[in-house]
Amino acid sequence: MERALPHAVPLGQMEVFQALQRLHMTIFSQSVSPCGKFLAAGNNYGQIAIFSLSAALSSEAKEESKKPAVTFQAHDGPVYCMVSTDRHMFSAGDGEVKAWLWAEILKKGCKELWHRQPPYRTSLEVPEINALLLIPKENALILAGGDCQLHMMDLETGSFTRALRGHTDYIHCLALRERSPEVLSGGEDGAVRLWDLRSAKEVQTIEVYKHEECSRPHNGRWIGCLATDSDWMVCGGGPALTLWHLRSSTPTTIFPMRAPQKHVTFYQDLILSAGQGPCVNQWQLSGELKAQVPGSSPGLLSLSLNQQPAAPECKVLTAAGNSCRVDVFTNLGYRAFSLSF
Amino acid sequence: MSSESSKKRKPKVIRSDGAPSEGKRSRSDTEQEGKYYSEEAEVDLRDPGRDYELYKYTCQELQRLMAEIQDLKSKGGKDVAVEIEDRRIQSCVHFMTLKKLNRLAHIRLKKGRDQTHEAKQKVDAYHLQLQNLLYEVMHLQKEITKCLEFKSKHEEIDLVSLEEFYKDAPPDISKAEVTMGDPHQQTLARLDWELEQRKRLAEKYRECLSNKEKILKEIEVKKEYLSSLQPRLNSIMQASLPVQEYLFMPFDQAHKQYETARHLPPPLYVLFVQATAYGQACDKTLSVAIEGSVDEAKALFKPPEDSQDDESDSDAEEEQTTKRRRPTLGVQLDDKRKEMLKRHPLSVMLDLKCKDDSVLHLTFYYLMNLNIMTVKAKVTTATELITPISAGDLLSPDSVLSCLYPGDHGKKTPNPANQYQFDKVGILTLRDYVLELGHPYLWVQKLGGLHFPKEQPQHTVTADHSLSSSHMETTMKLLKTRVQSRLALHKQFASLEHGIVPVTSDCQYLFPAKVVSRLVKWVTIAHDDYMELHFTKDIVEAGLAGDTNLYYMALVERGTAKLQAAVVLNPGYSSIPPIFQLCLNWKGEKTNSNDDNIRAMESEVNVCYKELCGPRPSHQLLTNQLQRLCVLLDVYLETESHDDSVEGPKEFPQEKMCLRLFRGPSRIKPFKYNHPQGFFSHR
Repeated sequence: MERALPHAVPLGQMEVFQALQRLHMTIFSQSVSPCGKFLAAGNNYGQIAIFSLSAALSSEAKEESKKPAVTFQAHDGPVYCMVSTDRHMFSAGDGEVKAWLWAEILKKGCKELWHRQPPYRTSLEVPEINALLLIPKENALILAGGDCQLHMMDLETGSFTRALRGHTDYIHCLALRERSPEVLSGGEDGAVRLWDLRSAKEVQTIEVYKHEECSRPHNGRWIGCLATDSDWMVCGGGPALTLWHLRSSTPTTIFPMRAPQKHVTFYQDLILSAGQGPCVNQWQLSGELKAQVPGSSPGLLSLSLNQQPAAPECKVLTAAGNSCRVDVFTNLGYRAFSLSF
Repeated sequence: MSSESSKKRKPKVIRSDGAPSEGKRSRSDTEQEGKYYSEEAEVDLRDPGRDYELYKYTCQELQRLMAEIQDLKSKGGKDVAVEIEDRRIQSCVHFMTLKKLNRLAHIRLKKGRDQTHEAKQKVDAYHLQLQNLLYEVMHLQKEITKCLEFKSKHEEIDLVSLEEFYKDAPPDISKAEVTMGDPHQQTLARLDWELEQRKRLAEKYRECLSNKEKILKEIEVKKEYLSSLQPRLNSIMQASLPVQEYLFMPFDQAHKQYETARHLPPPLYVLFVQATAYGQACDKTLSVAIEGSVDEAKALFKPPEDSQDDESDSDAEEEQTTKRRRPTLGVQLDDKRKEMLKRHPLSVMLDLKCKDDSVLHLTFYYLMNLNIMTVKAKVTTATELITPISAGDLLSPDSVLSCLYPGDHGKKTPNPANQYQFDKVGILTLRDYVLELGHPYLWVQKLGGLHFPKEQPQHTVTADHSLSSSHMETTMKLLKTRVQSRLALHKQFASLEHGIVPVTSDCQYLFPAKVVSRLVKWVTIAHDDYMELHFTKDIVEAGLAGDTNLYYMALVERGTAKLQAAVVLNPGYSSIPPIFQLCLNWKGEKTNSNDDNIRAMESEVNVCYKELCGPRPSHQLLTNQLQRLCVLLDVYLETESHDDSVEGPKEFPQEKMCLRLFRGPSRIKPFKYNHPQGFFSHR
């Protein structure tokens, strides 16, 4: 595993402090720009860095191309999730969601367009927002996190239209089932709940930990990641990574991965997952492990596939987690290089 | 024959024209001289052409007569003799004619020659005259040009300008009426005036000289007076010594020091001056002294004559020693090394007194051949210190001043030129001699005003006062904080070794009242051992674990859980925080690579250290970090979610008040302690 060695031994107080910060940095979220050439990454210090994928992937890429084009302090707390539309980027972390314009984001001193805080019940501690989900058809954004509710925000008016309650513990992840349209949410309470957007009601509940095949009590019951492909859903976390058939609510395939998974996504005919451990795992739908590609972080928290049609040359998989680095996989078989904060 | 006769006789001869056959002597009619015969005159009268014809005719006749004689002789007969006689007489006559003609020819020739000769002589005379005249002309011309070129001395004199002249000169010299018209007179007048002026100035000059002599004499007198004053002042100073001591104003002592200071080499002198100035102006706790032998210092600068004498002595000695065994190469090299590393006999000693009566003794040396300064340090405390085992290196003279400025480890010589000198005598690095010679820190060089720029190596680096003064204050402050923080650590280590984390009362608010986890062990570990640990790889790769740091291992325990903490203590503590790396042994081994919460705990202690600094000068940082570590372990163990499949109660019941147990995608525990409410939350 090749890690970038520091060019100079940190000597002074500032240098040592910066080195320590970098060592303890965690990148929680990533988002690709609408043009496909830039990647935004948010870390636990509340900073967002914009990397130029096109520069880093070009043939004249130097060491500086692997550094961010721009880094700015976006939030006071960690940036847990980010999504992008064709013009905006939304980032959320400690209790509020902020919107940024992609066209402006590369300029120095960029300020957010607006920020909103969903109406929270408690005031003692501001709950975090762990997941953002875009509903393009309704031009809405769903926020979910520490207060166990899904808040739906209308992007045109900026007001919070609905709050979906049902989880008993905080929500980790969201997924959109386009056909219905339904939203899936997975939480710390171990349940995956399906919500119908029009009626704003909970339609289906799957308590994963109650199924013996996939439960792993020593890891806990929390659901850390969700991905859905209309009829199918894959979820992981404390319990094993499992593929579910939604209508029948039955687990069809259990992927033999010991470490809890923190991010999962469907890609072509594969399932990509990452979690504790440095590797990005590629699974076949049958449950076989096709490949395990090591990255440079000891644990991964987010995967991002750049499938923007405008930049086919930047079609890469990027993985980030418990380090200051974002691994770039040009080909799913190996790690090409790493971008670094 | 003819020429002689011409000299005796006068030239006039009258001769009748056209009588060629006569050829006889005839008397000339003379007036005064007497009878003579001159053929010269005859020559003038006869025509040479006719003579030539006569000659030809005579020759013909002769030939005819001879032929006739010949005929007659051959015929024979009686008559012949008479005819032959006749003809013989005729031939004789012809012969006479021929002779005459010959004489005439000769005379003519002679005459012609004489005439030519005369003419030639005339021409020559004229020629000579011409030459003489030409020569004279040339001579005169030269004289003329000489005269024209003649520069009179008067033109070299810079005369005053005309206007000034007419203005200044008195009328009897300037004589305007005369001089205006006549430039010659004008120049003469001006020269007169010049002479007049010069005479006046010469007078003045003599006066001034005599003045000067007078003044010089006065100066001499005054000097005598002053020099007689010196011994009197000395005696006054001697008398005032007791008064000085009584009033605590040791001027004399300072004066003596300044005297000794004059023999210091330039960098030590700069240090001495700057340190004394700083001590007097800003910091009363700093005292400066000079140690060493002044005589040896003076001996370093022996005058050349002495050294010559020494040379002859040493030559004699050398001859003796060569008869004995020559010293081996190794010994020679050793001697050369010693020579290269020789210190100046004088050294400057600085004593920095800190608030708690501990003193930092710094002795500065100057290595003459290497042109660098080194320092030896010693810390003495008011009370005897019992050194705990782990605190061995804290105050050791070797490492107490290491990295006072970041990166200044003092193991390498700061002067790049020294490398070449070292190569000659086989010294690899100064590190081997540091214990004996002292450390050549960069700040020491700066205090001595020595600056070794890396980009352009200079031949001679001289001591610079401004460099020293600009670094003095910062360095002294850093030295003091360094000593104090080391002493504080010293005390803390003594307590840590006994398992007690000494938290001062003004830092108690950072921690909850009840902390169950205990510090069980606190030991030093070697640098290599630290690098070998499996959970410290990140720190090593980030370049934060160099060989100038000090390394320790702490062990915190609670129940069956054992938390190992490897600590990197940077010499720049406490401005540079200690760095902790954790490894928890409880239900398996958890480190930052496989447990996000361990990572979060490390972050709490390493990154959020500023909250733990405590009141300035933040000597409590390490102990606060250790205490926080204990608190974090408590939280970790108590908030661990209970595994339903395993039977039995939780080993650590939750006693801490927490709002939420997990937060965020990494499901971090609530490690942040809130004062004064006393509950735990997330950052």
